[in-house]
Amino acid sequence: MKPSAWFAAFATVAVSTASAVAAEQPLTDADAIVARANLAAYYAGADGRSEARMVISDSQGRQQVRQFVVLRRDVSEPGYPAAGGGDQEFLVVFSRPSDVRGTVYLVEKHVDRDDDRWLYLPGLDLVKRISAGDKRTSFVGSHYFYEDVSGRLPAADQHELIETTDAHYVLRHRAVVPDSVEFSEYTTWIDRETFLPMRIDYRNSNGEVYRRVEAQAVETFGGHPTVTRTLVSDLAGGGSTEMRFRNIGYDIGLPEDVFSERSLRAPPRQWLE
Amino acid sequence: MKHQITYIATHHPRWVYAATLLLVVALGSQIPRIHIDTDPENMLPEAQPSRVFHNLVKARFDLHDAMVVGAVNETDPDGIYNPRSLAALHALSERIMAIDGVIDRDLMSLANADNITQAGPGTIRFEWMMRTPPADAEAAAAIRDAVARLPLLLNTLVSGDGRAAAVYVPIESKDLSYQVSRQIQAVTAELDSDDDYHITGLPVAEDTFGHQMFVQMGISAPLAGLMIFLLMWYFFKSPVLVVAPMIVAMATVIVIMGALIGLGFTVHIMSSMIPIFLMPIAVVDSVHIMSEFADSYSEERGADEVIRGVIDHLYAPMLYTSVTSAIGFASLLLTPIPPVQVFGAFVAAGILLAFLLTIVFVPAYVVRMRPAQLAKLHAIAQATEGSSMVARGLRGAGRFAFSRPGLIIGVAAVILALSVAGIARIQINDNPVRWFKQSHPVRVADRVLNEHFAGTYDAFLVLTRPLPEARLTGFADAARSDIDAIEPLDPGLRETLQAALAAPDELDAVISALDDALFDAEGPAAAQIEALIERAEVLQQEQKFFLEPDHLDYLERAQQALLDSGLVGKTNALPDVVKVVNRELRGGGGEHYRIPDSSNAVAQTLLQYQSSHRPQDLWHMVTPDYTSTAIWVQLTSGDNQDMTRVQNHMDQWLAANPPPGGADARWAGKTYINVVWQQAMVEGMLSSLLGAFAAVLVIMVVLFRSLKFGLIAMLPLTLTIAFVYGLIGWIGKYYDMPIAVLSALTLGLSIDFAIHFLQRFRSVAAAVGYPAAREAMFEEPARAIFRNAVVIALGFTPLFAAPLVPYITVGAFMASIMLISSAVTLLLLPAVISVFANRLVPAPQPAPVSEPDSQAVRSDTGLPHSSQGASS
Repeated sequence: MKPSAWFAAFATVAVSTASAVAAEQPLTDADAIVARANLAAYYAGADGRSEARMVISDSQGRQQVRQFVVLRRDVSEPGYPAAGGGDQEFLVVFSRPSDVRGTVYLVEKHVDRDDDRWLYLPGLDLVKRISAGDKRTSFVGSHYFYEDVSGRLPAADQHELIETTDAHYVLRHRAVVPDSVEFSEYTTWIDRETFLPMRIDYRNSNGEVYRRVEAQAVETFGGHPTVTRTLVSDLAGGGSTEMRFRNIGYDIGLPEDVFSERSLRAPPRQWLE
Repeated sequence: MKHQITYIATHHPRWVYAATLLLVVALGSQIPRIHIDTDPENMLPEAQPSRVFHNLVKARFDLHDAMVVGAVNETDPDGIYNPRSLAALHALSERIMAIDGVIDRDLMSLANADNITQAGPGTIRFEWMMRTPPADAEAAAAIRDAVARLPLLLNTLVSGDGRAAAVYVPIESKDLSYQVSRQIQAVTAELDSDDDYHITGLPVAEDTFGHQMFVQMGISAPLAGLMIFLLMWYFFKSPVLVVAPMIVAMATVIVIMGALIGLGFTVHIMSSMIPIFLMPIAVVDSVHIMSEFADSYSEERGADEVIRGVIDHLYAPMLYTSVTSAIGFASLLLTPIPPVQVFGAFVAAGILLAFLLTIVFVPAYVVRMRPAQLAKLHAIAQATEGSSMVARGLRGAGRFAFSRPGLIIGVAAVILALSVAGIARIQINDNPVRWFKQSHPVRVADRVLNEHFAGTYDAFLVLTRPLPEARLTGFADAARSDIDAIEPLDPGLRETLQAALAAPDELDAVISALDDALFDAEGPAAAQIEALIERAEVLQQEQKFFLEPDHLDYLERAQQALLDSGLVGKTNALPDVVKVVNRELRGGGGEHYRIPDSSNAVAQTLLQYQSSHRPQDLWHMVTPDYTSTAIWVQLTSGDNQDMTRVQNHMDQWLAANPPPGGADARWAGKTYINVVWQQAMVEGMLSSLLGAFAAVLVIMVVLFRSLKFGLIAMLPLTLTIAFVYGLIGWIGKYYDMPIAVLSALTLGLSIDFAIHFLQRFRSVAAAVGYPAAREAMFEEPARAIFRNAVVIALGFTPLFAAPLVPYITVGAFMASIMLISSAVTLLLLPAVISVFANRLVPAPQPAPVSEPDSQAVRSDTGLPHSSQGASS
């Protein structure tokens, strides 16, 4: 369950389902809540498209912009385009600043093994495969992590429901392999209606919150409540990255070959503009 | 006025006690508010341009003052790359990060460095270098191999010989250094490791110095006081009497330090020495009074009358010596260095306060002494004068001086010439680490770590090249009229676009605004906006000056030039990052360790570099708009001389290789700042010395109402200063901050003996004639000068035990000044006088120098008033 960042953009739960849930008794099983939140945050529709603009601010308020289009497709066979929760493919194509235009990431997310990641750098005319390594590294210099791209698997953490408020389920999560992550624990506030995580606080071993991810705006597209603005703040260092989404679409019928290695050098223009 | 003062003092001693006590308590109560400031940066005024730029650079590149913790393993065949050492280093890093005041995200250590490697063909891998300590020797060796491929780490985080590893510990504020370094020491003491641990870096040296300075204020000053007390006890044989000068000295020190602290001044390295300077200076005036009082006391006249006579008699010489000493210190106000100005002003004030306390408190004290004590005092004074070995020696010296003037003047001329030659050899140099003795842990750490690493002293060569203003305004003006021409366009949108152009250098924001407009625009408007975006992007590329391969190439050459200076251990800069990432992206082969061909390729390389655990590291080297870049220069020496050589070397190189695009190149960094304030200090000291010299000369001429005597009075001072600084030149001791400041002290103190000697000589000669005066001068007056020289010179010997070099230097200076100026006064002045006797000494007539004096004749016999010596 790693619902931060722009993948919240694809978050969805059918509105009907959400309402039905709200009418029921609140859930009490942490794993079940996390499973629902994972679907809401990562599996809206069978595929999706969004334009993202990140504004990275450092502690002095100096800003940099990164702009890109994200295409996503669920590959769970043969259930496609069914409930979700399985493997996915992502294509991330950069358009700004102009000196990184055409830089492309291709990610094959697997629920049962390490993800596959490729990178294309047009300036060096170079396709590289990126070893799984550590996924909690910065995504292109922003305050988001790579893991925010591929999503943190629910099974990577142990979950505990610590409070149920009128609006949120509040859960605490600890890594199954503590050495693999920089946090000691994190707390999520999951919207009881949409199951979108609205806030995540990461704490260090001293119990201090050093990193926070907030969903600041949610709109509904094709029946899927979707986070359209998020903010991740580095509370220790003072910087932050804001990300806004637009041109959001779900179930647009992205063909499988869009997510092939060929798209690295020749991005599928028709799906990007 | 002096009569009234003494009258009040002797008739209302309790008032004097009460007033003194009140003053001491009132100002002494301010002392607990003390705020120690050890930052040499404060040697420069806040608005000094180099300091302003230094701090601008720190903010621009998010740089913090850092200490360096080094682990050294000299025994293991694998050096530091053995599992146990690395485990200890890992634990050390983790625990340092948990210390309050440490900026953990910027801490640099193998334990939180990133590694970039090849993970099979065509695959690149980013991961922590040492997320967990290596399990075995093989894993440790893998870390060694990885570090060897990363020039940014090699010789910075691990030494080239593999024996030492370093942790760079950035701290929120440099005045936390001492306290944090203590906590780190506690951590290293507990580590499971046989490695040696050292802590160094300028912040530690400076802050540790501050701490020890504070301790020294509590040790050295009281010790000097005790020493002076014992010496006076030895000379006067009366502890009761000697208590009076001690009270004057302590009251002076407490009042002045209280005033300094109470007025909100920080206690800087210089001002911490105020007690040590004031202690002996405050004592000597009282010594004059006590001494003459002991000589001339008689029961018939009574203490009250005797003391008033003594004060009356000594008032003028004491005032003049106090004023000249005060001027010596006040001249420090001419330096452009705030802490030195504060030091000079408060020492000067202290000297005048000591004078005032002396003429008020001491009379009040003696009139309250019991008649029996007074009588005993007088008896001892009578018994011990005149027959000692010292007395006989001084008489011999006097005869020699008056009979062999040619020889003495000749020797003095030779000494002066040698001194001038020595002064020409003076090496101006400083380094806060050198303020500690050789054996001090800070000094040891500095030596050991700089043997292993490329250098623990930092400087930054900063190149800046913003987009020319004309390009930006040209673009903005054209864009404004283009936006006006776009049809159709929503009026609100048009306004937003125009607003974005208000800050055309924020091209990211301009482009984003245009892009937003494009989102809502259609048809021909969209095409126009797109064209505008394209132009803005072209301009933005141009703005990102240090993404251009040619400009990175220039940086590389500048880095090489820095290394060519022979004094730079290593440089770290943007090209190093670009080259490493480029190499790894292209398969890891050494042939790819180069800067790619286009600025886009550079930008994409850096995008990958930032895909690490520490994306912020890039902004320590270049600003996010790529208009300014910093080359981090590591020096193994923090000596100002070495930094200056590097600067000079680069000045030449930059002149021969002008930066591209007219980029501006400037220095920053602590090592550089130390050079700046030292230069200010050296120049400031020269003008302060010349100013004080002129002022003292004028005072001498006024005092003696004679240009000739005024000039003669300057001789001991001139020769003493020349000798002391000539000696420094010959023995090769660096001219550093303490030595620079001491010139004022030299000037203020070495004039005193001359004043006393010449004034006494003139009045004696006027009374008894020149031939008799020659003899008389080498009775009590010479003894008084000698005695004062010994009291002050020996009074400072406790400073030799201090662990801080500036304290030792002060002690050595004090002793030298006293011995040399007393010797010059007692030898050269008689020699010069005997040469010019005819012109200097008129026929005997009863006309004393400054004022008619009923005691003059009596005292001029040489017997009574014992010490008109150094009343400084």
